[in-house]
Amino acid sequence: MATGALLQAINGTSLAALLFLVASGFTVTFGLMRVVNMAYGAYYLLGGYVGLSIAQASGSFALAVVGGGAAVVVFGFLVDRFLIRHTGENHLAQVLLTVGVAFVVGDVALKIWGGDSLKVPVPLFLRGAMELPGGLVYPTFRFVLILFGVAVAGVLWVLYTRTQIGAVVRAGVDDREQVAATGIDVDRLFAMVSALASFMAGMAGVVGGAFLTLYPGAEWEILIVALVVVIVGGLGSLGGAMIGALVVGLLDAYGRWLLPEFSYFVLFGPMAVLLLFRPRGIAGKDA
Amino acid sequence: MTPARLAGAAALAVAAAVLPEVAGPFWMGLVTQMLVFGVLALSVDLLLGHAGLFSICHGSFFAVAAYTTALLEVRYAVATAMAAPAGLLAGTLLGLVFGLAVRTRGVYFILITIAFGYVVWGVAHRWSSFTGGDNGVTNVPFPAVAGVRIDSHTEYYYLVLVAVALVALGYGRVIRSPFGLALRGIKGSESRMRTLGYDSNRHLYAAFVLSAALASLAGVLYVYYNRFVNPVAASFPVSVEAALMAIIGGTGTILGPFIGSIIILGLRNWVSSFFELYAAIMGLVFIVAVLWVPEGLVGLAARVRGRRAPAGPGSATG
Repeated sequence: MATGALLQAINGTSLAALLFLVASGFTVTFGLMRVVNMAYGAYYLLGGYVGLSIAQASGSFALAVVGGGAAVVVFGFLVDRFLIRHTGENHLAQVLLTVGVAFVVGDVALKIWGGDSLKVPVPLFLRGAMELPGGLVYPTFRFVLILFGVAVAGVLWVLYTRTQIGAVVRAGVDDREQVAATGIDVDRLFAMVSALASFMAGMAGVVGGAFLTLYPGAEWEILIVALVVVIVGGLGSLGGAMIGALVVGLLDAYGRWLLPEFSYFVLFGPMAVLLLFRPRGIAGKDA
Repeated sequence: MTPARLAGAAALAVAAAVLPEVAGPFWMGLVTQMLVFGVLALSVDLLLGHAGLFSICHGSFFAVAAYTTALLEVRYAVATAMAAPAGLLAGTLLGLVFGLAVRTRGVYFILITIAFGYVVWGVAHRWSSFTGGDNGVTNVPFPAVAGVRIDSHTEYYYLVLVAVALVALGYGRVIRSPFGLALRGIKGSESRMRTLGYDSNRHLYAAFVLSAALASLAGVLYVYYNRFVNPVAASFPVSVEAALMAIIGGTGTILGPFIGSIIILGLRNWVSSFFELYAAIMGLVFIVAVLWVPEGLVGLAARVRGRRAPAGPGSATG
């Protein structure tokens, strides 16, 4: 039982790492650009599938991660430029529009990659299991994913809180007009942040595809869980996304383990209770 | 009602009544489906068009009502007279819980309703010992009340038609009542309504529960038509498509959601008969609707009419 609990803690943390990659993009683009982009799940799936094809063609996992991310950067740029831009700050329009984009991506991906669950092949040294201190045997890939997630979160955190670009982004989240008034090219800033968010979603697809597999419908499952992360953490907050990802990842792992038929309750129930007391999430500010 | 609108409504009623004489069973099935999903779209629009709240969880009330009725009929052999009201009640009770979402507004409300909606889908999907998992509940019988038995799709069509007519009448009364006008006021300016002493959260909560009850009615009508129900009924696409129907038809009207339902379901049937990627086409419809027809077809028609003949005194606005 104790080993099981520990195992689930690691499972939950590795899921949290993946969720953070998707949710952080969603939350920061919302905070900065006031855009609700429901296509992030589809970005995840698209990146995963493109990465899968690259991995099959080249045999390189690293190339797959970068290629999957890059493909989504291009796609996300086109969606931003030609579609989302026309919605202004109408969230209803953004939701419908990006849901439409996700439907198109999902269906075209089904046509290209088929309806079976596909697994992105991982390099040999990440396959198999490793023994953790304490004698626990755990899949190597998922353990490395935790380290990877922590590293990405660390880099983002430093970028966000310690660099000038991060300061501009934080200022933009608080007051966009003031930032524009100081002579900063807000459009370029948006494009950069959006590209980074797209890249992380695409990269997450490749990494997630290596252990959760890719299949039609995966785009909505990952998006919904990422939304819970964002709601729990507080919309627009990077720190909130970190906390939220950890909370949701652990709840999901323990929920699946202890109450497999009601794991959705375990995930969403606490969210509903939290909302009663803090409608804007753990780290959310009143807007 | 003006004479012109009265004549229009009468013509519509006559056309709907004689439709089974000219249309075959396939078309009757499709039209029944359009009416049922029109009711679902109307329930979404009570919040969207009148209270300004965009809910994406109405598939849950729809599905919970459908599942409740189906399980009672099939597994416990409960009569329609009990099973159908139980379905309505179950969906409405869920509305009482999910209605807590009205504590939030805007994006938060949208995201929270999406998350709520997923719980229902997840339970239907995972709790397979009770819900039948992905296979769902099959072999739901036609409804029978007090010895009167429906035993064809045409007869069921008439039942749905009567239900829709009653819903339209009741809905019209609600939106013109002081409660409906208060909702409009909240949509227009919540802070002003609060200043006037209206408890906006309580009004929105009531609207949410009422709208959940209407979605539940659609669910009960659906399950007797479809004869089975599976987790797809609770899925995100159902909820978001219901909103799209209201938007395409025109929000804030009674006819709009039905027009939207006719267009979306008609389009899906037509496209899927010759083109494999119909989900992608539906996605494009979302995009086109948002970018080019944001006020819906009813709004578009009003605008075109308004351009041809400038609105005179006494013409309705809004």
